[in-house]
Amino acid sequence: MKRLSLVGRVVVLASAVAMVVVLVVASSLIAIVSLRHAEAKESRAKDVTAATLRLQSITADLESSLRGFAITGSPAFHNLLNSAQAQVPGAFRALETLVADDRQQLRRARDASDLVNSYVTDVATPILFIRSVNPRAARSQAADAVEKEHAREIRSALNTILMVEADRSTGRAAHARYLARAAIAGGSVALVLSAALVLLFGAWVARQVAAPVRRTSAAAAQVAAGHLDVRVEERGAGEVGSLVSAFNSMTRALERSQQELLKQNQLLRESEEHKRDLISMVSHEIRTPLASVCGFTSLLLEREFPREEERRYLEIIDQQARRLASIAGDFLDVKLLEGGGMTLDRAPFDLVDLTREQANLFFSHSSHMLDLELPDNPVVVNGDRDRIAQVIGNLLSNAIKYSPPGAEVRVVLSQDDGRARLAVVDEGMGIPPGDRARVFEKFYRGSEAASAIGGTGLGLAVAREIVTSHGGDIDVESEMSRGSTFTVELPVGAV
Amino acid sequence: MSPHRPKILVVDDEPPLRELVVVTLGDAFVCDEVDNGDEALARLSADHYDLVMLDVMMPGTSGTDVLRQMRADDGLRDVPVIVMSAWQSPQDVASALEAGADRFLAKPFRIDELGSMVRGLVSRSA
Repeated sequence: MKRLSLVGRVVVLASAVAMVVVLVVASSLIAIVSLRHAEAKESRAKDVTAATLRLQSITADLESSLRGFAITGSPAFHNLLNSAQAQVPGAFRALETLVADDRQQLRRARDASDLVNSYVTDVATPILFIRSVNPRAARSQAADAVEKEHAREIRSALNTILMVEADRSTGRAAHARYLARAAIAGGSVALVLSAALVLLFGAWVARQVAAPVRRTSAAAAQVAAGHLDVRVEERGAGEVGSLVSAFNSMTRALERSQQELLKQNQLLRESEEHKRDLISMVSHEIRTPLASVCGFTSLLLEREFPREEERRYLEIIDQQARRLASIAGDFLDVKLLEGGGMTLDRAPFDLVDLTREQANLFFSHSSHMLDLELPDNPVVVNGDRDRIAQVIGNLLSNAIKYSPPGAEVRVVLSQDDGRARLAVVDEGMGIPPGDRARVFEKFYRGSEAASAIGGTGLGLAVAREIVTSHGGDIDVESEMSRGSTFTVELPVGAV
Repeated sequence: MSPHRPKILVVDDEPPLRELVVVTLGDAFVCDEVDNGDEALARLSADHYDLVMLDVMMPGTSGTDVLRQMRADDGLRDVPVIVMSAWQSPQDVASALEAGADRFLAKPFRIDELGSMVRGLVSRSA
């Protein structure tokens, strides 16, 4: 079933309560109206009874004065008769007005009126006439069967009106009492029901609205205090439930962005540290050869040396200045790598020749032993000779730098399947497994190596870039304390 | 030439730097060279030196380790040591002095500065 919204539920519940209250008020109104109605009917019934009783008394006067006059001929009776006769139409009009809305009673009243009129015309008028001509005959006629029958009929008709009215009155009173009782009972039930509904409504509001809102506000205070891991139980009707769930989403999002910020902060700190280390490393890398260049230059300027020695010092200056130039070159190369601006000056050349040349250059002044294995035939590569020389030089200087003095370095060049393969094998300290994948990253220097052995951490990154832009591969295998093997593969052939 | 020439041990893994120190100090001193910390300690325990020129960053035993071991050794405690390094942040200088260096010489250095520093320390300890 579709869940109603909070507003929907409140409207439904409030409507239910309102309807019950309306019912209570309506039933009370009905009870009051029907009681008043019953009262009005009751008072009218009394009036009808009074009017009927008055008619009874008038007709009784009519009868007794007619009989009295017939027997005695006293004008007092005649006067009484006239007076009673005069009152008859008014009394009947009053009764008919009172029972105008009651067809049966109206008919009875009219019947009774007709009976009285016929009593006057058929009984009283002839007796009065007979009395004027024959008083004796009149005396016997006044109480005869006809006169008595007429009088009895009139009494009976009026009695019927009285009885019916009394009966009606009793019925109406009973109905009014019933209505009142029913209204009171209905009102009471509705009152209890509405009280129960109001209580239920209150309990529901407390449970579905107040409690979740309270929990959420407490959680919001915790969030304000910096505890972003708080979550509120996702319960509550409609919009309140949505509010709680939105709150949870918000804290989750806050927590995520806080963690993201912390992570970025950490990265930034690491990058700052890295930059500091880099600057310090670079200045160290520059100062070492610079110390020789400055020192020997000063010596040559300030002192006299034999020509042989002078030349030797100049060679040292030259060598160290080249070292500085190579460091500067590494940085320039990295700049080129980053900008994608490294251009290759390709031409076919013999890799055997180049390897021999580089090996001689690096091992002529080294205490390391060189084991050079070169093929007899040329291995021709179409590429940038100076850049490939840079790669080989980097691998050879690493082999020397990271292995102890006197250790052997094997350099093996072979050709196989259209690929030239150059392996530089050292007996050095080896590269820890965790560092192997990263040695080709720029500025990355193995943790152990970095502590003692100088370097910019750029050589291998530049070497990889050069090799891959020639369509080749560079890789490393290493065993701790046994040594490392760097392998370069290049496509052969003068394309 | 004086009858007794002070003996100096030059410890650095860079051959040109060692040569620079040796040539700068010239004939007034007798210089021995080693390129690592372990060999330096071996030489120091075998022979008497009037001064040690010590590089910090070397493969294997570092200059700082050599210095600490010297200062813990009764026989070597008083041998003057000049630490020379291309690492020269205030922390680098402080850690060298804390380890027991007498002087700190930042690379690159002026040759007359090296000469006067060595002569000063040698004459003081003599």
